[in-house]
Amino acid sequence: MMDIIEESLDTIYGTPPAGTDALNRLQNNVQQWQNAIWYDALRDSPVGPLLVAVGNHGVIAIEFGTDETGFVRELEARHGVTAFRSMDRVSEAISQILQYLSGDRKLFELDVDLRDLTDFQRKVLEAAAAVPPGYVATYGEIAAGIGKPKSSRAVGQALARNPIPIIVPCHRVVAADGSLTGYSGAGGIETKAHLLRLEGATIA
Amino acid sequence: MGTSNKKPQFDILVDAHAAEIYRYIWRMLQNEQDVEDCLQDAFLKAYLAYDRLDELANFRAWLYRIASNTARTRLRGRLRTGILLSEELVDSGLPIEQQTQNHLRLEAVKNAVEALPHKQRESLILRKYQELSYEEISTILDTSVESARANVYQGLKKLRAQFEIADSMAAPNLAEEISEVGQ
Repeated sequence: MMDIIEESLDTIYGTPPAGTDALNRLQNNVQQWQNAIWYDALRDSPVGPLLVAVGNHGVIAIEFGTDETGFVRELEARHGVTAFRSMDRVSEAISQILQYLSGDRKLFELDVDLRDLTDFQRKVLEAAAAVPPGYVATYGEIAAGIGKPKSSRAVGQALARNPIPIIVPCHRVVAADGSLTGYSGAGGIETKAHLLRLEGATIA
Repeated sequence: MGTSNKKPQFDILVDAHAAEIYRYIWRMLQNEQDVEDCLQDAFLKAYLAYDRLDELANFRAWLYRIASNTARTRLRGRLRTGILLSEELVDSGLPIEQQTQNHLRLEAVKNAVEALPHKQRESLILRKYQELSYEEISTILDTSVESARANVYQGLKKLRAQFEIADSMAAPNLAEEISEVGQ
């Protein structure tokens, strides 16, 4: 026998709507999330504030500073997808960066996404990434290493536009005389020197 | 950083379970805007946590668990809403007094369900309407299987007790009595 409670409960809870619209919107959102870029801000790191962005293929950008709006605008324009702020998604990258900056980590275990760069830029960054911590290479050596011995200046430019500083160690590339020319991070050359000292490199 | 190969892509999970989770959230919140917001919210949380989820986890129960927490947070933050009456109920051809009485009864039952401790309320909905096993309910609500069973039983018993009193009252005042009980 159906009692009044069961009958009322069935009326209230028995027949939910199909929710087609809500479910369609959810599917669209999921598509967007799966293609999205996720970022988070690191307010105080030993080298000042950082913005870190991660896509589905790995870390995609690191920027010194706090200009979140500019960072997002550039990411979205460059990659044509939406950027969302998320602590969760970026936490692994951020924690490795912090470990590295506090001297507790030598090598990063993160994928990096360099797919939107030109072949030349990518080769330069890969060559820089091959320089082990504690060592430096010169622009000329990188240029020679990628088979373009005359292009040290272009190598310098490619490194200056490194979208993923710190993790892709453009700071390990120095001038022929060993001097630390140019670093686009906050604090400029001082930051470059800081990173190299952290890694135990001998600085000229 | 991508999801492990052994886990299904997240959108596959959404295709498989979103409609069921929608019905669950609807049963919990019963307010269209809240239901939609909560659905999107719950799946975003799930998406963000998916990389860290063990590949052997029960994905369905895990989604339920996130939906349950998200719905509960939303319930806490809102005022009670009136019941969502389906069309046929409003236009049932019954005399207007009868309709009013039915409406008040449903309102009272709904209020009484919402006043139940959350584990009793959720266990009841999960068992009776989402048709989950006690074992699944215990995973979702983080209780023992026995507690899940007891929660369903206690919840129903509490509701019956409230409305038995009302039922035994004089019929013409039924609606009034019930709505007082339900406050």
